[in-house]
Amino acid sequence: MAYYDLVIVGSGPAGMTAAIYAARANLRVLLLDKLAPGGQIVNTNEIQNYTGFGTVNGAELAIKMYEHTQELQVAFDYKTVKEIRVQGDVREVHCVEDDTIYECAVVILSTGTRPRMLHVENESTYAAHGISWCAICDGAACRGKDVVVVGGGNSAVEESLYLADIANSLTVVTMFDLTADPMVCDKLRAMENVTVYPYQDILGFYGDSKIRGIHFKSTQNGEERCVDCDQVFEYIGLTPTTEAFQNLGILNSYGYVETDAWMTTKIPGIFGAGDCISKNLRQVVTACSDGAIAAQGAAHYIQGLK
Amino acid sequence: MLKEVTNAEFRESVNQGLVLADFFSSTCGPCKMLSYILGDVDKTCGEKVMILKVDFDKNKDLVEEYEVTGYPTLILMRDGKELVRKSGLQQKPVIVGMIEEYMD
Repeated sequence: MAYYDLVIVGSGPAGMTAAIYAARANLRVLLLDKLAPGGQIVNTNEIQNYTGFGTVNGAELAIKMYEHTQELQVAFDYKTVKEIRVQGDVREVHCVEDDTIYECAVVILSTGTRPRMLHVENESTYAAHGISWCAICDGAACRGKDVVVVGGGNSAVEESLYLADIANSLTVVTMFDLTADPMVCDKLRAMENVTVYPYQDILGFYGDSKIRGIHFKSTQNGEERCVDCDQVFEYIGLTPTTEAFQNLGILNSYGYVETDAWMTTKIPGIFGAGDCISKNLRQVVTACSDGAIAAQGAAHYIQGLK
Repeated sequence: MLKEVTNAEFRESVNQGLVLADFFSSTCGPCKMLSYILGDVDKTCGEKVMILKVDFDKNKDLVEEYEVTGYPTLILMRDGKELVRKSGLQQKPVIVGMIEEYMD
């Protein structure tokens, strides 16, 4: 069984920054991710508020961060963590793939968030085949087509502006009113090919081998409506990817990891960092900050064990 | 071998054994990350597979012919015949496993 000083679960900006700081503190570090380095920033076209970069493409920033970890010879593996167990001073990281178990002194949880789903009729049928959570990935294929965006927050409205320029028609269906910054909401409403349906409950999607439309109902007068479309994009918020840590008793009622200012959880040797922890501002720069603090905490904790 | 190809180059190469086509869009973040991962896959798999990168915007007819609806999309083919396809960002072991399953 492989032993590391530190295993970092999740390789977004928080996890990769933690890896850099921990490697520079001479810890034996293993960085795990179930898919690829970068986390949510891979889906972000332009990051405009990461200090020193002006505007930077999310995927390109993720690759730079990953290469930085590799310059420091951080071990990286593709693994899906299913559970973490505490055995005295040893933390066991149990993975789905081949039932691999890693032993370590410290774990940093930096698994981030993922898009929240509606859980309505036929959503799973058309997921990734007509329903998408990434306009910059699938928007290019929507030229001249009829598109629906579900949601009314900042992400929904900003992606709607992008899609409205490409699509034949854009319908925005939202559970409340548009809640994004007023200026961008006004800009969206003013576009000729955009229709907004506020205060709607989404009932489901319909189609055959391809998605053909969305079915929703007004929460104000009960009127039901079907809108035909070729593609749907959902932007209804994020949910923390922390199911594997439920046994630890460190999650709040929304599923976020509870940490203190030093990123420590109530379990010694288990830290949290990035979007998966309970906090007010989820940005690349705050994720990196969390990762640095957590790695420093990990180094101090390991020093204390000796 | 990994290379970005034009329509004509794709048609020339697609019938030459095991080919992995990566349909990508230049504006797509997961496509950029997949491209980076494919560089690593290419180092691992070497001559076992030819990786052809097809830009969506420059090859609309190939996109229609192969019914690609989202990006990135990977299609593994042998002598032009589709064996398996995967949509979205994929981890390196999945791609390598897919190639090794269909190797001679």
